[in-house]
Amino acid sequence: MESNNFAQATEGLWFDVWKRFQRNPIALAGFYVVCCLGLMALFADFLANDKPYYTQYKTKSYFPILRNYLVEMKLGQWPAELLNVEFRKLEGATSFFPPIPYRPSNINLLEPLESPSAKHWFGTDKLGRDVMSGMIHGARISLSIGFVAVGIAVAIGVVLGAIAGYFGSWIDLIVSRLFEVMLSIPTFFLLITIAALLPPSIFLTMAIIGLTSWVGIARFTRNEFLKIRNLDYVTSAIALGASDRKVMFRHILPNALAPVIVSVVLGIAGAILVESSLSFLGIGVPAELVTWGSILHEASSTTFAWWLAVFPGFAIFITVLAYYLVGEGLREVLDPRLRGLR
Amino acid sequence: MLARRWRFLFAILMLSVTGCGDKSEVKVADAPSTASAKEAGKPVTGDWLVIHSLSDPEQLNPLTSNDASSNEVLGFVLESLLTRDPRTLELKPLIAEARPEIAQDKLTYTFRIRQDARFQDGRPLTGEDVLFSVKAIKCPFVNAPFLRVYFNSLVDARLVDPYTIRFVTKEPYFLNESVLGGITVLPRHYYDPENLLQRVAVRDLIQDPAKLPGEVKKFGDQFNKNYSRNPMGSGPYKFSLWKTGRELELVRNPDYWGNGKAGIDQAHLDRLKFRVVNNFDAALVRLKSGSLDYMEALQPVQVVRGTDSERFKREFQKYEYYAPTYTYIGWNNDHPIFRDKRIRQAMTYLTNRQQIVKSVLFGLGEVVNGHIYLFRPEYDKTLPSYPFDPAKALALLNEAGWRDTDGDGVLDKVIDGKKTPLRFEIKINSGNAVRKSVALVLLDELKKHGIDASVRELDWTIFLNDVKNHQFDAVVLGWQMSTTESDAYQVWHSSQAANKGSNAISYKNARVDEILELYRGEFDAQKRIQLYKEFQRILSDEQPYTFLYLPKRVSAVQRRFEGVEVFPDGLRPVDWWVPSARQKYVTTVTAN
Amino acid sequence: MIPTFIGITLVGFLIMRLAPGDPAELRAAGGLGAAAGGGISVEKRGSVDEAVAQWRAQYGLDKPLHVQYAVWLKNLFTLNFGESFKDNQSVWEKILERLPVTVKLNLWSILVVYLVAIPLGIYSATHPNSFGDQVTTLAAFVLFAVPLVWAATMAIVFICGGDFYYLFPPGGLESLEFADDWPVWKKINDHAWHLFLPVVLLSYDGFAGMSRYMRSSMLEVLGQDYVQVARAKGLPEGMVIAKHVLRNSLIPQVTILASILPGLIGGSVIIETIFSIPGLGQLGFESVLARDYPTVLALFTVSAVLTLFGILVSDILLAVVDPRIAFGRRQQ
Repeated sequence: MESNNFAQATEGLWFDVWKRFQRNPIALAGFYVVCCLGLMALFADFLANDKPYYTQYKTKSYFPILRNYLVEMKLGQWPAELLNVEFRKLEGATSFFPPIPYRPSNINLLEPLESPSAKHWFGTDKLGRDVMSGMIHGARISLSIGFVAVGIAVAIGVVLGAIAGYFGSWIDLIVSRLFEVMLSIPTFFLLITIAALLPPSIFLTMAIIGLTSWVGIARFTRNEFLKIRNLDYVTSAIALGASDRKVMFRHILPNALAPVIVSVVLGIAGAILVESSLSFLGIGVPAELVTWGSILHEASSTTFAWWLAVFPGFAIFITVLAYYLVGEGLREVLDPRLRGLR
Repeated sequence: MLARRWRFLFAILMLSVTGCGDKSEVKVADAPSTASAKEAGKPVTGDWLVIHSLSDPEQLNPLTSNDASSNEVLGFVLESLLTRDPRTLELKPLIAEARPEIAQDKLTYTFRIRQDARFQDGRPLTGEDVLFSVKAIKCPFVNAPFLRVYFNSLVDARLVDPYTIRFVTKEPYFLNESVLGGITVLPRHYYDPENLLQRVAVRDLIQDPAKLPGEVKKFGDQFNKNYSRNPMGSGPYKFSLWKTGRELELVRNPDYWGNGKAGIDQAHLDRLKFRVVNNFDAALVRLKSGSLDYMEALQPVQVVRGTDSERFKREFQKYEYYAPTYTYIGWNNDHPIFRDKRIRQAMTYLTNRQQIVKSVLFGLGEVVNGHIYLFRPEYDKTLPSYPFDPAKALALLNEAGWRDTDGDGVLDKVIDGKKTPLRFEIKINSGNAVRKSVALVLLDELKKHGIDASVRELDWTIFLNDVKNHQFDAVVLGWQMSTTESDAYQVWHSSQAANKGSNAISYKNARVDEILELYRGEFDAQKRIQLYKEFQRILSDEQPYTFLYLPKRVSAVQRRFEGVEVFPDGLRPVDWWVPSARQKYVTTVTAN
Repeated sequence: MIPTFIGITLVGFLIMRLAPGDPAELRAAGGLGAAAGGGISVEKRGSVDEAVAQWRAQYGLDKPLHVQYAVWLKNLFTLNFGESFKDNQSVWEKILERLPVTVKLNLWSILVVYLVAIPLGIYSATHPNSFGDQVTTLAAFVLFAVPLVWAATMAIVFICGGDFYYLFPPGGLESLEFADDWPVWKKINDHAWHLFLPVVLLSYDGFAGMSRYMRSSMLEVLGQDYVQVARAKGLPEGMVIAKHVLRNSLIPQVTILASILPGLIGGSVIIETIFSIPGLGQLGFESVLARDYPTVLALFTVSAVLTLFGILVSDILLAVVDPRIAFGRRQQ
């Protein structure tokens, strides 16, 4: 009974949060940017692709982009006349291309290092790859690394923090020691070491960023748990015989989430920054992949190609800024102390 | 307190802005650097050459150092028995009086040593120093395994008289003269002051190291430890100072034994300064601003874009030559896909080599079709050059049984009863942007034609390990050759495929093996050329590698220097000089 | 303290040893020169294998892991960090050579941050929600979000002698012609010119963070009762701030110092790499790539020491600034 009312009260809280969040125009703007970026990442294949949406060839119509998905999932195949064909050069076909008719991996040795033009809005890199396409697909990589890395960090951090805050005494002591050690480790140096020594892969990058950034979340969780644990409703739940796990995860955790949510949003921004730093240094990113950081890497050794520096960097900047604004907005909304001053 | 801070900050700001466009440090009034009239005349001494160095040498021990920077520096300080004529590349004597006497059995080489050579501290150079140098190389406790292997065939060395040394080798090999002639002569009194190696003979050094007397080990330890930053030899330039990460300086030896002697390189520049700038862009900026005089290797992008202004051309002269290295794609000949030579040929047809040279190298290179340096007589210019021909490639693949039977865009074939897609991985090492570009270009083309290839970039050590253990499908790598005669045995003989040898692709061909064995014992140059021509034809047909290109190197030199010429091996700063009117730096302590 | 130290060094040790790639083979192959050199033939390979084995034995790489760690720990007490695998120089000397550079860079950066951020924070707190405050806050956010890799690359592309402007040198600590006999002012000018960009780039995110932190901490203090009391007593606002508010709001700023030190090595890597500054960050990166175990481990150790040192320093400073806190136990 009590838990039902409790759940309702929680729902009401989030709705309230959203309403208050909307009152902050800058944070709201950030939120819209975040959504746009997410959409861009999700629909990258429809925004920048060397295959058309629709093509009419030899009196038959096809939807190449969708067909490509099917083929990749082994649920379909290419008809013989469209096998490995370059749609732009296909004779006798009428096609409708996405706004940017290139994939980031399309090498074109005849157009290397071109400055922005009508053909390539953001220019090309030294292999003739379109920069704008690289940026759109790069969003996908950056955001997925951000989300997964933070996901890992949350999983570890929340659990450890909850355990420390709930059980207290010697468990808390040990876990707090662990926090100290983790905080003292030179994180970036450690990341460089691992990323440079092991074969590059996206999953590795996600994992190591996640494994080195959980401490903040853990500390917040622990502090919240310490505070909430002594509140009446919790002590009564325990008195009523609820198991430790139930108390921790059904009673305390939902209320302890506020600072964690803020950390998550800020953490995504942080993870994106770290990842771009790593790929800027040339480590952690597989060779074929074009990421925002890897384009910047090329920019630093081809200094006259300013478009390689300006655009991807700006993309990182906007993404990070948007997430920061949302995070800060959430913090102001969720932090009881600041409510009065605002 | 605050006010002072603000003033300081302001000062910093002002100074930073005004400090831009650094004026070069001249001790003489700014000499005009334009080369107006060609002041041909007799070379004079004076002035300094500031050379761009990409990185510090790791260390300057003459035997244990193993990197290109240290070799370059040591080349000015030390000398060897024989050297090469820069133009004809023929062996010619330096410390030796003449080329060696070779016995009939081709196993014994006798060198007579000049009697007028001296080290930089004035002490005379004798046969004892040469013998010591050989002992040092053969000493197993000296950290130079890489160098020592070239002398494995040397079994004995002895002084016949104070200025004559005799070497005995294990087997006849036409390159032995060149290897023995390449021994750098180290001063015994400097590198072994306690004469620890006196009692041990070269013959003893090839035995079990455990049986050697303690002083040999002592020598090894001392030699490895104490001589990293202070080389001394008989060459025209003395080591002067080394500020790690900043600058390394050599000064001309005014008492050089070779001064005024015919046939010996005369040095004119007072100082050679190697300044470290580990970034090519920054180096070009510094070249243009006058802090550097000579950049040995401009990046292709810089050659095409950063150095073609009128102003640049007025101040600097660019020189081009071909570096004796070539890049290739190595196919693992043991791999089920690449066992069939038709597949390898198809891969070569799918590699647009001409376009790669044009776009990735900005035209600074030549396509090559064989393992031999392009400009040597042994290189067969009539070899078929596989053009970029996807249609032909596809035909070959179809012929070999690869077709797209399931419409997924990837070729496949039934191997051992299983339908296998044409899928493989190309490995490259990190840290080499050009090779990465080559791999990506190849990848793109392969994918367009139904080949599901991927690229894997690995750290150099892991990469090296995989290559040596044959853990790869394909690799992009390069070989360093030389402009002189070379021996392809290590790379192409089938025996070298085992045991982490250099034949990493496991190439096995009986006729090639025969040719390579014959070649080693052949002392007639013309016959060697014939042998190699056949060798190249076989390789061309079998395409065990897809040979890519030979890069062109472009150097930039400030125009005040005279005597600058391009040779097959590149530029030779030892020949350069600056007419008095154009000298920029003055050595305040003249030694003349 | 000790567990933290052991923890950091152990982590560093394990990662270096467990990662694939063999420094012995690397050395035999001639170091990190990118092109593959001419090969060594098989019969000759035999003696190289021997040399490789010999080399590994010499550096103790053939012993089990825990023994290696114990040996390394023991050597630590005599400050013997061993010799670099790359060039046989003493690791300790290499670090000492580069330490001043990184320290200088970071000290300047911290100084600049404090100099700029604290006044800004004070201004913001004393004029909350004013136009100035809002501009500062927004600027702080924007700055905070600017990625270092972007700012540094933009600098190199646009103002360091490339195709556009040549306002600052494209790297290095000093001009190539730097001579020891230059007059002092000239040396300072040269160094300042070279360090200006790196310091600014290292500090700009500090401006943002610090000024916001200062603002919120000061606002909190301003809301306290004793401040009202001071005002009621008739003290001029300036004095209220100077005597009561400032000291108490500066307390948290001091703890920041402790958290800056661990990141000293890693934080400078990007700047030192882009601007070719021979500091610890660059050394760390190069050593990792070269699998120079002794140097990397030494750097982890140095970082551990710096961290502990930072904690100690901030504890002391805290005691100085806040007389309520006693030495010894401190509530987290």
